[in-house]
Amino acid sequence: MQKAIKINREEWNRLLIKLSDAGEHLYAPVRHNGVFDYELIDKESIGEIIYNEAKPASPLKIFFLPVRLNVTMGGKAPGRIVIIGAPACDIEGLKLLDAIYIDEKYTDETYLSRRQNSIIIGAPCHKTAENCHCTIYGVNPWPGDGCDISMSSSGEDIILTTMSEKGTGFVNEIKSLVDAQDPGAGDMDRITRLQEASAAEVTDKNDGLPGREETGKLIEAAERSFWKEHSSKCVSCGACAAICPTCTCFLLIDRPGFEKIKQQDTCQYPAFERVAGGEDPLKELSVRFHNRYMCKFVWKPERFGVLACTGCGRCIDACIAGISKNEVIREMT
Amino acid sequence: MKKKTKEDKGKGLYKVLKAKVDEIIDESPLIKTFVMTPEEPFKFNTGEFIELTLDGLGEAPFTPSSSPFITEKLEVTIMKTGYITNKFHDLKPGTVMGIRGPFGRGYPVDRFIGKEILIVGGGCGLAPIRSLLFTLIEMKDQIEKVVLLYGSKTPTDCIYKPMFAKLNSIDKFEIYRSADKPDGTEWDESIGLVTILLDQPRVNMENSIAVVCGPPIMMKFATLRLLELGFSDNDIFLSMEKNMSCGLGKCGHCMMGEFFVCKDGPVFTYAEIKHSPEIWK
Repeated sequence: MQKAIKINREEWNRLLIKLSDAGEHLYAPVRHNGVFDYELIDKESIGEIIYNEAKPASPLKIFFLPVRLNVTMGGKAPGRIVIIGAPACDIEGLKLLDAIYIDEKYTDETYLSRRQNSIIIGAPCHKTAENCHCTIYGVNPWPGDGCDISMSSSGEDIILTTMSEKGTGFVNEIKSLVDAQDPGAGDMDRITRLQEASAAEVTDKNDGLPGREETGKLIEAAERSFWKEHSSKCVSCGACAAICPTCTCFLLIDRPGFEKIKQQDTCQYPAFERVAGGEDPLKELSVRFHNRYMCKFVWKPERFGVLACTGCGRCIDACIAGISKNEVIREMT
Repeated sequence: MKKKTKEDKGKGLYKVLKAKVDEIIDESPLIKTFVMTPEEPFKFNTGEFIELTLDGLGEAPFTPSSSPFITEKLEVTIMKTGYITNKFHDLKPGTVMGIRGPFGRGYPVDRFIGKEILIVGGGCGLAPIRSLLFTLIEMKDQIEKVVLLYGSKTPTDCIYKPMFAKLNSIDKFEIYRSADKPDGTEWDESIGLVTILLDQPRVNMENSIAVVCGPPIMMKFATLRLLELGFSDNDIFLSMEKNMSCGLGKCGHCMMGEFFVCKDGPVFTYAEIKHSPEIWK
């Protein structure tokens, strides 16, 4: 059952200092030189945490799928981490990651241990960013299942709502360290209004952008010439995949002693699918470009029954060629 | 032998089982068979594949060419075709390699019971087929007939030569070979692409299934010919060659539409994958 507590912001900051001093690894978004991203928080930076803005620059997957990891030398989570301020789009993306990495037959223990050793404190977006389009794919800009606690700032207060057993456990842990109260109906109404205003803003600014299923159909129907034209500026840098909360492909690199290094990879790089004999289904740039859209909107949803694009818009922010996935999709309609 | 449970399987997904190379057999100028002794008995089903690691240098997927009924030894037949396979070819007996697996879905041999089995192989694609043949020999009382059609580029490129004489002497087994072109060595079988061996009726179409394994271009034309002959999409079993890297359905390198070839395959019916993109590449 969900339970909400209200903590005064100064009291909350003192709590975070206590937790940090006790050795808890707290990650939260702060802004440096205009970039808003997660950082390991300490006494000095606790006051700089930004609450309830749109997504941080890095997707949530960075905590569970390190860019490079030796998977034969343990590779499990070094300890518990608390992630403060995860946006709903990224939390939704974890469903696909879980489906791939925690399956009945082959569970990746390095991933599972990181999931088990994390407390995800999700944050509803009270503000939206330029390319946010979560609502178009049915994702609300506030966390639902998939996080442990939902956190909203309301005036001078922080309101924590438990969303999982793990979250309830964490709130029980901190309650002895902090002066917490029950939030009033007014607090909850205010949060709801802010969340819903964000949702309306995201929906309005993406007016006419087709939903996920329709997008899948459009992608399947688009001609080869369409992909050739729209991929012509792509430089195969892979930024769209690196920054995507649901892209998880990797390369295995061998080291002496039969060690294996797992390193982030992407189908956007040339030779991703090439076999020794020389055949390469993704040899052409336009085919690789098309592959990414098919994977996100057709194959992964078909295979796993979950979203593979949660509408965070980071791929649009990150593209050095200025390709907007949403503009490409609008061109199909 | 320690039996692997589902629980064990999830642990140490990337750890290898060490295996010592006992013997290296030259099959053709480009193909060698590596006979290995794993440090503990290794069990697999025919058509499943392993990831074979050369310590510190790389790893590649291969379907064992040996009998799944023998667990103390494992044979893998490797064509010299890229960086790591070149390194494999330079090995000497005594080298310790690493095995991960077995992975994937092999041949559904239960579906072959009571059937005539037409097998079309090309080049090094005979490696998984050899393992299947060993299985079918064990099952010969349960099947009607096995017809193997095998093509190589030249007579010199024909692998497993000693095996063919033995197979031909087994009741219910018929073997036909072709070479794309002659090379001056002794050859009293067909000349031409392996699909020419499909020009004559070999099996009773009412009660047959077909298995195809070989280079992608050969698999494409053999499959098209089998369809022309009247095989249904569901009765053609293809062993797909993709960049199977992790073997676990996670790294994404072998994705073919919604399928992870390493986990859902490598053996598929044509019906399962005919709508997937670029299946012959």
